[in-house]
Amino acid sequence: MREISVAVNGRTRRRTIKDNELLLDFLRDRLEVKSVKAACWRGECGLCTVKLDGGLVKSCLVLAVEADGKEVTTVEGISPGGELAPVQRAFVEHGAAQCGFCTPAWVLAAHELLRTNPKPTDADLTEAVAGLVCRCGTYNQIREAVAEVAGTKPRRKAEEGLAQA
Amino acid sequence: MSFGSPYTTLPDFEYHSPKTLEEALGLLREHVDEAKLMGGGIGLIAFMKERLMSPTHVVDLKGVEELRSIRNVPGQGLSIGAAVTLSELLEEGKLGRENAVLREAVARIADPMIRRRATLVGNLCEAIPWVDTPPVLIAMDASVEIIGGEGKRTVPVSSFIRGPVDVDLDPTEIVTAVLIPDAKGRVGAFEKFTSGSEFSLASVAIVASGQGKGRSVKAVYGAVNSTPVRSTDVEDQIRDGITVGSIRKAGQVASEKVECVDDVLASAAYRKHLVKVITTRALGRMVGR
Repeated sequence: MREISVAVNGRTRRRTIKDNELLLDFLRDRLEVKSVKAACWRGECGLCTVKLDGGLVKSCLVLAVEADGKEVTTVEGISPGGELAPVQRAFVEHGAAQCGFCTPAWVLAAHELLRTNPKPTDADLTEAVAGLVCRCGTYNQIREAVAEVAGTKPRRKAEEGLAQA
Repeated sequence: MSFGSPYTTLPDFEYHSPKTLEEALGLLREHVDEAKLMGGGIGLIAFMKERLMSPTHVVDLKGVEELRSIRNVPGQGLSIGAAVTLSELLEEGKLGRENAVLREAVARIADPMIRRRATLVGNLCEAIPWVDTPPVLIAMDASVEIIGGEGKRTVPVSSFIRGPVDVDLDPTEIVTAVLIPDAKGRVGAFEKFTSGSEFSLASVAIVASGQGKGRSVKAVYGAVNSTPVRSTDVEDQIRDGITVGSIRKAGQVASEKVECVDDVLASAAYRKHLVKVITTRALGRMVGR
């Protein structure tokens, strides 16, 4: 057991944890940040994605103790004061969420992509979200939402496939 | 790729974050056989969730400054420290033209979020049959630098990997770096067959360097057997040059000669087919390189 101090969405949180605790469990169970989803637990689905010290990581593959003294951002951290970030608004407008379970991770990843690369190409987007899964399959809508914020034209994979058929 | 385990928690252990190599070595000596080293933790955390490993001490190397650098060692080559992540390797200018084949392989490992944590040395030390960097590093004649109580030693990657999840490393030793020797005009290609960001069903690294009589060609296959498989039969087909004819022949020979295993991921027959496809693709991309 040890005490760690983590700045989550700008607010410093201190908790006593066990050394073998995952960052995912720390965020969900000790801090009640439930937007960070627990699904596959093995780094495949990406729904536990958070920003740790400036970059996106899968929190089911990070020990909580490793976040000691560092900054963690979850989707709540991109809309301080409750005002929706542009990418969140675009997700709503384009119906880029169906069941919504994976949406926090997608929004966070899309927001981070647009922050570091304001005009991502389709290939940039595909690469940036390669570690995320949406079981409802809202990928086309997510492409449109990101393209709208970036001011670029999305490529609709499904339509392209039909056109070729 | 799931191992199909119900476990979502980790076994109990004490976490250590040494700041120096000396401190890390001391921890290993103090907790012999009870400690595991952690680089990015991708493999270790997965193994611990499965209870395939239950160390009572975890020694995290991320904070060891000496292991964090990528540097050119004059007369030797490029030294990549054990705590260097795959994302860092992909940063502009870190892997030059002669190491482009490694860049090609690393850029396709898992996904950006995993690569931000995973390390090259960790990927190698896991020695899981389907990881992608061992075939590339073997084809590049890379070696690992190891430090332990008895001092330092250097081992070629080809002999460092002894078997599946088995490497030539004592529990009190640490791999400090991967050393990739300089090779003028080295060109190569890495190709793998996989579904999305999952593990490879077959991979190949083909690397050529030198000119004329001094020309060296290596073809090393991954994920087809319990350890990487070098094929001199394939190398023989392309030693004199890569042409439409030699590419076709090399693909055929690869399919016939590279030994492939049956396992839960794919049948040997399917792997043999894949080996032909990836050999042809890799060689096709090497034309003009």
